[in-house]
Amino acid sequence: MSKIPKRPEKKEKSREYHRSDEEYAYRSVLISAVLGGILYIISILFNIEIISIFMNINMFWTFIDISLKVIVILLFFLFMITSIGNYKELIGKPLNWKELLLLFLLSIGQTILNPLVFVFTLIGLLIILIYLYVIQEM
Amino acid sequence: MKKIKFSVLICILIVNISIISFFLISKGYSTIDEISSEIGESPVIDGYIDLPSNEWKKATREEILLGDLPITLRVLQNDENLYISVQFDLLVKYHSLNEFVGLIISNSSSEVKEEFIDAKIIQFSNISKNEFTFFDYYIDNGNFLNDTNLNGEGAAKLEEDTSTYEFSLPIKALIVNEQDAALDFGNTYAFNITYGETPIYQNGVKKSTIILINIKSSTTSEIPFSELTVQIICIVIFSTLGALYCYYIYKIFRLKATIKRIKR
Repeated sequence: MSKIPKRPEKKEKSREYHRSDEEYAYRSVLISAVLGGILYIISILFNIEIISIFMNINMFWTFIDISLKVIVILLFFLFMITSIGNYKELIGKPLNWKELLLLFLLSIGQTILNPLVFVFTLIGLLIILIYLYVIQEM
Repeated sequence: MKKIKFSVLICILIVNISIISFFLISKGYSTIDEISSEIGESPVIDGYIDLPSNEWKKATREEILLGDLPITLRVLQNDENLYISVQFDLLVKYHSLNEFVGLIISNSSSEVKEEFIDAKIIQFSNISKNEFTFFDYYIDNGNFLNDTNLNGEGAAKLEEDTSTYEFSLPIKALIVNEQDAALDFGNTYAFNITYGETPIYQNGVKKSTIILINIKSSTTSEIPFSELTVQIICIVIFSTLGALYCYYIYKIFRLKATIKRIKR
């Protein structure tokens, strides 16, 4: 018969597992936030039109310009929502609709200078929200 | 419950497709016939659009059809002039040696033939050598007659397959000339953009289309209130986002300290 008790070992394992899970979640919060920050800077450069190299050349470059602006904002929203969601989970609170609405408004607000970017970003954000809602329900 | 969710998803999908279709249709060639000019720095009228130095950057840019020829039209204005550029791609073999592009200008927004009293034409004499002449005509009963005073400026250049025609037209000219369309701030004018291959006006015109151009009433010295408001809102949004982001990063680092404390 073994002299080493089995139960404390299990507890230690679960604590270690719990700890690594927490660390993983924290790392996810930080990395997502940093990526969100990088995308926020790129968004400033393109959406305030500090960089306007693709604008007013021809249809193709206009399309590239609009796509770039839309994709940057959508990725910003995705990374930030991931980061905030994980942060909330770490502190033991759920992500509420007010925070979601604020992030949504601040994301769509970045498109104010270009109506086409506004429409496509709005559509993209709605699709992301529907996707997140459906995933959560499943 | 599942049925309702499915219906909601289908409805959203239909709305999205409708919005995208609306934008694609409105950006199509056939629907554009009214263009508002934008205020910006005056371009150099040399038949070359210098994109790296942001020439024509602020111009309203529209793709329209000149008959069956797709052209890019840019419209810009400042305190003194209205600038219009016409650009199109055509294989070298299809360019005529005596190609021309003209702006036949109405005295108002009316598209009645009698109202088109002024014509500015850039006529190539030898397109392969980029030799051209800018003409200013007044139209009397369909006859193109030379203006006593040349008003405006024009230049053109053929580079590979791309032809660029640039026009500069004075707005609210100090000397009122009956031989020119009296362009004024805050008004709309009909422009007949014409393309031809032989220097005979009006018979040499091969393709033409009429567009309306709205000349803005405000000048470069004052930024329109709506534009200023949008810019302020934009700055507020990005500043708020930046401040909230910094606060969030601070909270993340505080969370790390809390986690460490709990672990201990």
